[in-house]
Parts: sequence; C-alpha cells; structure tokens
Amino acid sequence: MKQRSKLVALLTAGLVVPGVLGGVGFQAASASAKSAPDSHVIANASSGPALTLDNEAGETWPCGFNPFNEGVVTDGLTFGEVYEELVFVDNLESGKTTPWLASAYAWSSNTKTLTFTIRAGVKWSDGVPFTANDVIFTFDLLKKDPALDLNSVWSVLSSVSLKGTNQVVFQFKTAATPYFYYIADETPIVPEHIWSKISDPATYLDAAPIGTGPYTVGKCTPQNITYTANPLYWQPGLPKYKTVYYPSFLSNPPANEDLANGTAQWGSQFIPNIKGYYLSKSPNNHDWFPPIANVSIFFNLKNPLLANLAVRQAMAYAINRPLVSSIGEYGYEPPANQTDIVTPTFSSWVNQGLASKYGYTYNPSKAKSVLEKAGFTENGGVMQKDGQKLSFSIIDVGGNTDWVNDLSIIQQELKAVGIQITPENLTGSTFDSKLYTGEYQLGYNAEFGGPSPYYELREILYSANSAPIGQTASTNWERYSNPATDALINEYATTTNPGTQRKITDELEAVMLSQVPVIPVVEEVDWYQYNTAQTGGWATPSNPYAQPGIYIAPDVGVMLDHLYPKN
Amino acid sequence: MKFVIRRIGFFVVTLWAAVTFNFMLPRLMPGNPALAMMAQYKGQVNGAALKALEIAFGINTHESLVSSYFQYLGNIAHARFGDSIVFDMRSVSYEVFQALPWTLGLVGVTTAIAFALGTLIGLVAGWRRGSKLDSILPPVFVVTSAFPYFWVGLLFVWLLAYKLKWFPESGGYSINDQVGLNWHFIGDVLSHSLLPALTLVVTAIGGWILTMRNTVITVLAEDYVRMGRAKGLKPWTVMWGYAGRNAILPNLTGFAMSLGFVVSGAILVEYVFNYPGVGYMLLNAVKSEDYALMEALFLLITVAVLLAILVSDILTAVLDPRTRELR
Repeated sequence: MKQRSKLVALLTAGLVVPGVLGGVGFQAASASAKSAPDSHVIANASSGPALTLDNEAGETWPCGFNPFNEGVVTDGLTFGEVYEELVFVDNLESGKTTPWLASAYAWSSNTKTLTFTIRAGVKWSDGVPFTANDVIFTFDLLKKDPALDLNSVWSVLSSVSLKGTNQVVFQFKTAATPYFYYIADETPIVPEHIWSKISDPATYLDAAPIGTGPYTVGKCTPQNITYTANPLYWQPGLPKYKTVYYPSFLSNPPANEDLANGTAQWGSQFIPNIKGYYLSKSPNNHDWFPPIANVSIFFNLKNPLLANLAVRQAMAYAINRPLVSSIGEYGYEPPANQTDIVTPTFSSWVNQGLASKYGYTYNPSKAKSVLEKAGFTENGGVMQKDGQKLSFSIIDVGGNTDWVNDLSIIQQELKAVGIQITPENLTGSTFDSKLYTGEYQLGYNAEFGGPSPYYELREILYSANSAPIGQTASTNWERYSNPATDALINEYATTTNPGTQRKITDELEAVMLSQVPVIPVVEEVDWYQYNTAQTGGWATPSNPYAQPGIYIAPDVGVMLDHLYPKN
Repeated sequence: MKFVIRRIGFFVVTLWAAVTFNFMLPRLMPGNPALAMMAQYKGQVNGAALKALEIAFGINTHESLVSSYFQYLGNIAHARFGDSIVFDMRSVSYEVFQALPWTLGLVGVTTAIAFALGTLIGLVAGWRRGSKLDSILPPVFVVTSAFPYFWVGLLFVWLLAYKLKWFPESGGYSINDQVGLNWHFIGDVLSHSLLPALTLVVTAIGGWILTMRNTVITVLAEDYVRMGRAKGLKPWTVMWGYAGRNAILPNLTGFAMSLGFVVSGAILVEYVFNYPGVGYMLLNAVKSEDYALMEALFLLITVAVLLAILVSDILTAVLDPRTRELR
C-alpha cells in the first residue's frame, strides 16, 4: 500500500534504534529469517514452486476481496489476481492496450460511442460463463451506487447497453476519450449472478471472490493470503505459478529481510541502502523504480503575491531538483522537470526545443534577476515589493519524511534567492482538507497520473478540476483557470489520433513552462525488487509490459500472467 | 458494601466521560474520514475518488450532533464501532477481536509472570536482606529493566533468532500454518511468542522486585512483625502472613494498573516482532488517522484500566481493612 508509508517506515526505524545497533544492524536484527526452515515448508506446501510477494501494507489481512474497496485494491489483493479489466492499458508504454476481457474495442467517428466486443469462452471461476451482461451489470452498479464509482465514469457516460449478443456500447455525454483508461483498465468486472444478490456492494466483504482472473483465493489468514491458480482461466496454460503467497507485514524490516534472504521473490519495498542490503546479496537481485507522476509545489494562485508569474518563475529557477532528489529522496525518486512530463517513462512526449527554450535548470542568479526585473528589492535577505515580503508557508504531510527532507532543502535554496518559506508539517487529513479547499499558500503533493502525460496535465490545468476557495477541488489545487487551456484539454478528449494528441500535449507543456502553475520537483516511482534465480518473466526497463508495483491494479495480474518458475 | 457501590458509581461516571470524550474527539478534529483515506492512498487514487468516498462515508449528511450522539451510544452498547480505514473498511470490532487474543496472551501472561516472579524474588530478597540472592538478583534485574524493551527485543532477535536461529524472529505464527486448534499450530504460536515474552519479562520484572523488596524491608521494621517473631511464630508464617501480606499492597495496585494497560499492548515489542496484536494496531490507527479504530481501542483501554482499578480497590479493601472505612 501506500507507497509513502515505505519511506515513513524509515523514520520509525530511525526512532527505534537510538544508534546502538545502527541502521544496518537494525535491518539485520529485527528482520531476519522467516529463515531457511520456513521457506522450505513453503516450497513443499503444494505441488510445484510457489511465488511469494513482499509488500509491507502495515496491516494484517482483513481477508476481504471486494474490488470496489479502494483499500483492498491499493494493496494489490484482488483486482488483477481475481477480477479483471476489459482492456489492459500499460502506463509505462504510453498507454499501449492489450485486449483482455474484451477481445476488441472501437470508437465511433465522433468519439462519443465506444463499443467493446466481449471475449468468448471466458468463464467465472465457479463455472458460469462470462457474458456482455456482466459488463453492463458492473457499470450499472457504479451508476446505482456512486460510492463505487471511484473514477467518476458516470460523469461522462450517458448509457451502457447491449448490442447483439456480445457487444457492449458505451454512450458518452461529451467526447471523453481519456475516460477509456478508467472504463477499460480501471474498472473491475464482477459477475452479475453473484453481485446482483448483494444488497450493499460498497461494504460487501467478498471473502470468497468469484472472478475471471488467473487466481482464486485459496486460504486467507490475517498473516498470509494463498492464491491458487484458477483452473478455468481463459488464457491457456496460465498462470505458470500454481500457488502465490502474499504475507502481511506490519513493518518494513521483516519484509525487507524476506527479500534479502530470498524467501520472497517479488518486492514492492522501500529498502534503505538497497545496494548494500539487497542488490549485493545476490547477482540475481534486481531493482527498478519506474517513475509515474510528479511531486510538485502547488501555488495558491488566488494569493496575489503568488499570482505574480515572476515569483513562480524565480522559484522554478531557484530549486536544484537533482539535489532534492539525491538528498531528500535518497536518489530513489528522480528529479522532475518543468514540462510536467515524467521522464524517462514518457520521454518521447517531451518537446525538447520548448523545454530548452525556457531552460528551467537550477540557476539562482537568474532567479534573482527575474525578481529584480519584476520590481522586487532585497531587504534583510528577503525580496519584497510595495512592502510585501516573499514569505510563505508551505504545507505538507509530516508523516512523509522524504517530503519533509525535500522541503528543508528547498527552503535553503529559496532562501538563497530571497524567498522565505516555512514548512508546516501536517497530518494527512488536515493537509488534504487545506489543500483541497485552497486554504494554503504553498503545498507539496503528488498527482495521480495515467497512461500518458495528458492525464496529469489535465489534473493540474483543467478548471473543472478546480473549485472556488473554501470548496473541494479534486486535483487542480492551485486553482489554475484559463479558457484557452480548457479548450485544449477538451479538444484532446475528442481525438484518438496520436498526432493530434502529441500536438495538444506540446501546447500544454508550453502552458506549464510559460505559466508555471506548479513546480514539479521530483517524480513518484513504483517500488520494485525482483529475483531472477528461480523466476523469469519480470517486467524490466527494456520490457515494461506493466507497472511492476504489487499494489498497482490491475497490473499485478498482468505481471502474474508473465511470471514463470525456471525449470 | 457501601464502599463497593461508591466505587462502582465512580466507575460508571468515568466511563461515561470517556465515551463522550471519544465521541467528541474526531468531530473536533479538522478533515473527515474520506480525506484521511485519500491521504493514505496518496498518489494511488484518482482525485475523483474523494467524491465516491464521501458518499460511502455518509459525509455531508446533515444530522444533528445530539441525535448522532445517542446513535453513537447505542452503537457502543452493541460493540459497533464502525469500519476501519487501516483494515480496508472491515468492521473495527472484527479486527480488534482478531488482534486482542494475541495481545492478551502475550502481554497478559508475561505481565502476570513478571509480577508473580518479581514479587516472589522481592519478598525473599527483602526477607533475607544481604544474602547472596539479595545482592545478585535485584541489581541484575534493575539493570535489565533500565533497558528499553524494544532494545532488548532487537538484541534478542539479532542474537537468538538471527545468529543462533533458536527462535523464529517475527510474526505470531508461520505464514503457511493451518490456523486452528491443532498441536502444530499451538506449538508454532508458542515458539513465536517465546522471544517477545522473554523480552517483556526481563524488562518488566525489575520494577516488581525493587518495590516488593523495599516495602518488605520497611514492613519488617514494623512492631507487628517484631511481635510475630517474639511470639515465636515460624519464620515462614511471619514472612508470608505478616510481611508479605502487607508489603504486597503497593505491588498489587501496580499490577492491577498494568493489567489494565495490557490491552494497549506493548507497541514497540509488537513492532519489533511483527506481532499481530492491538499495540501495533493502535500505532497504525494513529498514523492513518483511523478514528473509528482509535476510538474502539481507547475505549477498550479505558474500560480495562477502570475495571482493573475497581478490582484492585476491592482487593485492597479485602486485604487491608483500613481502606474500607468511610470518613
């Protein structure tokens, strides 16, 4: 879960060890052997080798598998393994699609109608055939119970209906091609014959889930989930691993030790000093941290001082992003860039000419000159104009210790150019309530992203994602609003043409560069460690077929379909 | 009898205050459960999900504070504490009752062992002041109890589990155990609990020894003990019936208090040993601002402490007639 909490755990570990055993000693000590005896038992527990997942969720398993329960989904427990999507969209390959429960899909020419052809021969794990009606039922369920509609697909849909025997037609109120991702990839399809009898799907436990996916839940205890291969799975011969274990971990050290000693093969852990602690233990141990979204400084654009472009530009020049990345994030999260395009994940989308024209690289003297040109003068180390000092508070989540580190570095860097910021480390819900309602000056937070740079740009720039101060803005927290930008975002939603998409993305990049509505500082990553001794088929930088975090749904299912035991 | 009724009255009033405070606490804090949940999923959930979560949590349903207070009291009476954010919206009562046996078993039993053993050693050491036992055991255990218990835990894990591999080093049982009443599972649970139990006993016992020993020494100087000896009673009788019975009173109160706190678990020990009890649950509840879970655990702790105080008051009254008098 909770990628953040992995970094948080480092803090806790730091508190627990008052320098007696030292950091490394702590890992060695408190972690350790689910040792040889246990792994031996695991290997013999069933026929054939088993795969063990390792992702500290900070909880013992509640043994519920409801795919509309965000908590369950973000631990990677159900959507992907048991329930499946219509079409798999790979965020790491700019949204490349793979037909899944739908064997094909097509947009109408006006991009207001989306038709899925439902795959034949798929069965639910209880033997009942999967049909187009299950798909229609699932989307009707989201409409009937808005608490399940986590991606607000019904904000753009007008109807979902059957065509012929095996086609499902989605009618849109407005052109909304980006919603393809949420409908096809992010919505788990559930069986009508089971879920139609459930009175309250939002709170339904679903202890024995019936899905179409590669696995069924074999046995679940608070300490471990055993997934068993679904014999009726529609992809012949898959999954190759007949048994998958997913133990629960309350804290990071024991989880990290299981990875280091080889008990677990697939990890989504934050491991301090990963070279010494994990990679050096075996030549078969590997890691990869593909970035997916930006962590940015959000300005409150309703603040008159921050509404001044020069102030925002100066800050963008004054922040040394590589330094923030290497010290604040221990190098795990790479530096971001002002185009807001996550690299290397979406490198091909970056308009290099544009980026170098603005050239927001670390340049404190440029920062100062921008401010001076705008009429600011230095007084007592702080720049000011008309008696107004460039002195702001910046809110962040105190529990995210890496963010707290980032901000103390940023604080020093901004001080050097005469801008004073004071970090306010808040609890998660206080932080969110301030950020969402716009009651802050500066904020440090991450967006969600998606299969192309457009998704994050839309989250940040679209005025419909904003709200007046005091009301909840879903993602446009800085409250940027520009009709021309909105028009661009709307235009993108009407097209499926890659060339047009690229052109619009370029123009949105230009907005990011010229207007600096937010400052992307570092990039959020998927946490991923893998061992190639006994297991093949891993996602790698050269074959990024799915996001490799265990907690990423439905990618976890695609990963499990690819993994195989060697010999 | 009047004494008992007065104590029970006090118990009820305190309990009501605690329940009411529990009700007010999350309502006074900024934010709401949906926001807390969004905060927990940071970066993994579409911003649009907030709307769905607010609907799921029934936020913005305008209900008066008074009516929700009475609804709350009703729910508490039926042990309905709502759903836990930490545990993926599973009911709080279910999760707490899952974890409680682990904590009661581990911390409860070790507290009792530490108390019994410590009191006994303290009694004998105080009785035979200056003996070999008195000059070795109390100082040793006072030193060990000065160590923070998570530190001792880390040391034990490193030495006994990691280096020597005598004990499993984390969890309440092996992950592929058949959970249930079978010998394999019980044995496994015991072997997993030995190390944390040892940690707790070693660090807790010193306090009991010291209080007991010192009180015994004070009591031994009392006239009634001299009287007992002068009467020619057996040393054994004097030690237990005269010195022990009186000297145990402070320890007994302390024991009752610590029994009450057993339900809060030994947070750091559970953390170090990845033990599935309520202590670590509380830590996580606080970290994730899971008020439903926090409230349930706070209430549990309050009730347990209050009950323990009630019982210890009554027990003290039985042992020491003076405390029964009303003035």
